[in-house]
Amino acid sequence: MNKGNILVVDDEDIVLLSCKRALTPEGYNVKTVRRGADGITLLGNEAFDIVMTDLKMPDMDGIEVLRRVKEGWPAIEVIIITGYQTVETAVKAIKLGAFDYIEKPFTPEQILTVVNNAVARRANQ
Amino acid sequence: MRAHVKKTIYSLTGKLIITIGTLMVVGSTIFWYFLIHFQEKELLRNSVKYGHSFVDFVEKSTRYGMLTFQQLLIQQTVEAIGSAEGIVKIRMFDGRGKIAYSSVKEEKGTMLGKNESVCMLCHSNSRKAVEMPSWSIKKDKDGYRILNLLQPIYNEPACYTSSCHVHSIGTAILGFTEADISLSLLDKAVKKQELAITAYVLGFICLLSVVLCTILWNLVSTPLSVLTHGMERVAAGELDHTVKIDTKDEMGELATAFNAMTFDLKKAKDELVEWGNTLEKKVEEKTEEIRKAQAKLIHSEKLASLGRMAAGVAHEINSPLTGIVTFGHLLLKKFPEGSQEREDVEVIIEQANRCSNIIKGLLGFARASSAEKSSINVNDIVNSSLNMVRHKADFFNIKIVLNFDESLSSIKADASQIQQVFLNMIINAADAMEGKGTFTVTTRKVDENGVPFVEVEFNDSGPGINEKDIPKLFEPFFTTKPVGKGTGLGLAVSHGIIQDHGGRIRVRSTIGKGTSFFVRLPFYEG
Repeated sequence: MNKGNILVVDDEDIVLLSCKRALTPEGYNVKTVRRGADGITLLGNEAFDIVMTDLKMPDMDGIEVLRRVKEGWPAIEVIIITGYQTVETAVKAIKLGAFDYIEKPFTPEQILTVVNNAVARRANQ
Repeated sequence: MRAHVKKTIYSLTGKLIITIGTLMVVGSTIFWYFLIHFQEKELLRNSVKYGHSFVDFVEKSTRYGMLTFQQLLIQQTVEAIGSAEGIVKIRMFDGRGKIAYSSVKEEKGTMLGKNESVCMLCHSNSRKAVEMPSWSIKKDKDGYRILNLLQPIYNEPACYTSSCHVHSIGTAILGFTEADISLSLLDKAVKKQELAITAYVLGFICLLSVVLCTILWNLVSTPLSVLTHGMERVAAGELDHTVKIDTKDEMGELATAFNAMTFDLKKAKDELVEWGNTLEKKVEEKTEEIRKAQAKLIHSEKLASLGRMAAGVAHEINSPLTGIVTFGHLLLKKFPEGSQEREDVEVIIEQANRCSNIIKGLLGFARASSAEKSSINVNDIVNSSLNMVRHKADFFNIKIVLNFDESLSSIKADASQIQQVFLNMIINAADAMEGKGTFTVTTRKVDENGVPFVEVEFNDSGPGINEKDIPKLFEPFFTTKPVGKGTGLGLAVSHGIIQDHGGRIRVRSTIGKGTSFFVRLPFYEG
C-alpha cells in the first residue's frame, strides 16, 4: 500500500536515511537526493506528493527549493527540515507556502505525524 | 639687602663722575686762568699808575734843589726816598746819559752804558715816544718782577730862567728820572691768591664728586644692582623673589613693574604645572578607561566568536543526532517491553536528547542578536517568569521577596528573550540555594554617566561564587552545577541577549552570604 511519494532533499546522508527508515515502514515511497538541483530535476521526471527539504545546504538552499517547487508544482506540500530553530526562517518558509517545519533531531513519530498531516491536507484539496 | 655694586670706571657712576669731574676741572681751570690774568693785569696797571705818581713825587721833592742848584740836597733827597721799602733804585740822568743823582751813591757821575734799556729809548724809538713817560718790567735775582719807570724831565721857564743857567730855553727835555720799584709783594700776593683759588677749586671738585658719587650710588647704582641681582635670581628659576626698591622715582616704577612681571610669570608657571599634573591624571584616567573598554571588547569578541563556533558545531551535530534518535526509536520497537536491550537503547535515546538540549542552548546563545523588540514592562516580565517556576518543587521552601519600583515605565526589548534571561537568573538562584533561603528581586532606576537604565537585581542567599570563577561566569560551557544538571550556556546566552539590548550584567557575590546579579537595560522615555 503506497500512502504517498515523498522526496527528501538534504546534504546529510544520515538525515536522508533516517527519513527513509522512519517513513518507508509506514507505507510511504521515499526517494532521496543530496542536492536541491537534483531534487528539482527528479520532480520533472516523477510525481511526488510531498517534498521534505533541509534549509541549510550548499549550492541551493531550502528556501530556494521551496520556491522552485511552489512555482512548478503548487500542489506538492513542502515540509522544511531545520537545524536552526529560528522563528524568522520558519515564518518566512510558511509565508512562501511551506506546509510545516520540523526541527532536527526528530523522532520517527514526529516526522510521521507531520507527513501524515501533510498527506491528509493534500487529500482534502 | 645690599647687592654687590660694580666699582670700576666702566660702571654708570664711574662714567658719570669721570665726565662731570673732567668738565669741572676744565671749567675751573679756564675760570681760574682768566681770573688770575685779569687780576694781575689790573694790579699791574694800578702799580704803574702809582709808580708814575711816585716818580712825580721824586721830581717834585727834588725840584727845589734843582732850581737852587743844591746838588747835595738833591742827592740826599734821592737817597732818602730810595731807601724806602720796595724801592730798588732811583736815579736821575741828563740827556747825554750821565747819571746826575742816584740812590746808589757809587753810580753818581757815571755814564749809562749804550746798551742800557733806558738809552735804547732815545736811540731807537721816535722822539715822540721819548717825550712820554714809559714803563717796563724786568726781573731781580730772586725772580720777582721789578717795575721800571722812566719819566722825562721837561724844560720849563723856571729852569731856563734859573740863576744857575744850566739849561737853555731850546732844550725840550732836560733829562730823565728812572725808578725801579720792586713788585715782590704784589707777586707774592698773586701767588698766594693763585694757590688759594686752586685749593678752593680742588676742594669744591672733591666735595662735588663725593656728593655726586653718593647721589648716583644711591639713586642709580644700588637700585640697578638690586634689579640685576633680582633678574639673575628670577632667571635661575627663583620666581618667589621680589625686588625691594621703595623709591617713588623711575627706579621704583621699574622695580614694581619687574615684581609684577615676576608674579605673572610665577602664576603662568604654576598654571602650566597644574595643567601638566591634571593632564597626567586625565591621561591616566583615559588610559584606564580605554584599557577597561578594550578588555570588555576582547571579552565580547571572545564570546561572539564562541557563539559563532557554537552555532556551527550545533548545526553539524544536529544531523548525526537525527540519525541516532531516529534509529534508536526504530530499534526500540524491536525489543519487548522490559528487556535489557530496550533499556539500553532507551539510554542511547535519552543521552541523544541531552545532546539535543545542549545544542538548543548553544543555538540560543548564537542567535541572541535576532530579537523582536517591543515596549515591555520589566516588572511584568519578572512576574511572569516567576509564575512559570514558582510551582516547581525546587521553590517550595524558598521565600520570594519582590521590591518593585512601580513607577518604572516601559523599555524597548524582546519580551521572550528578556524572559529567557530572567528565567535563567531565577533557576540559577534556586539551584544555588538548593531549595531553601530567600530570593529577592528588586527593580530600580539607575543613572550611568547620565544615561538612564532600568536595573533588575536578583539576589539569592546561596553560598556565593568563588572569586576566581566570576570572570568565567559568562563563558559558554562554564558551570558550577553537577554534571548533567547545567549546560554552562545559560549565562552566556543571557549575556549575549542583554548586550544585544544595549545593557549589561554584573555580579556581586560574597562567600557565605549570597550572590546578586544585576541586569541593566537602557531606559527609553515615552
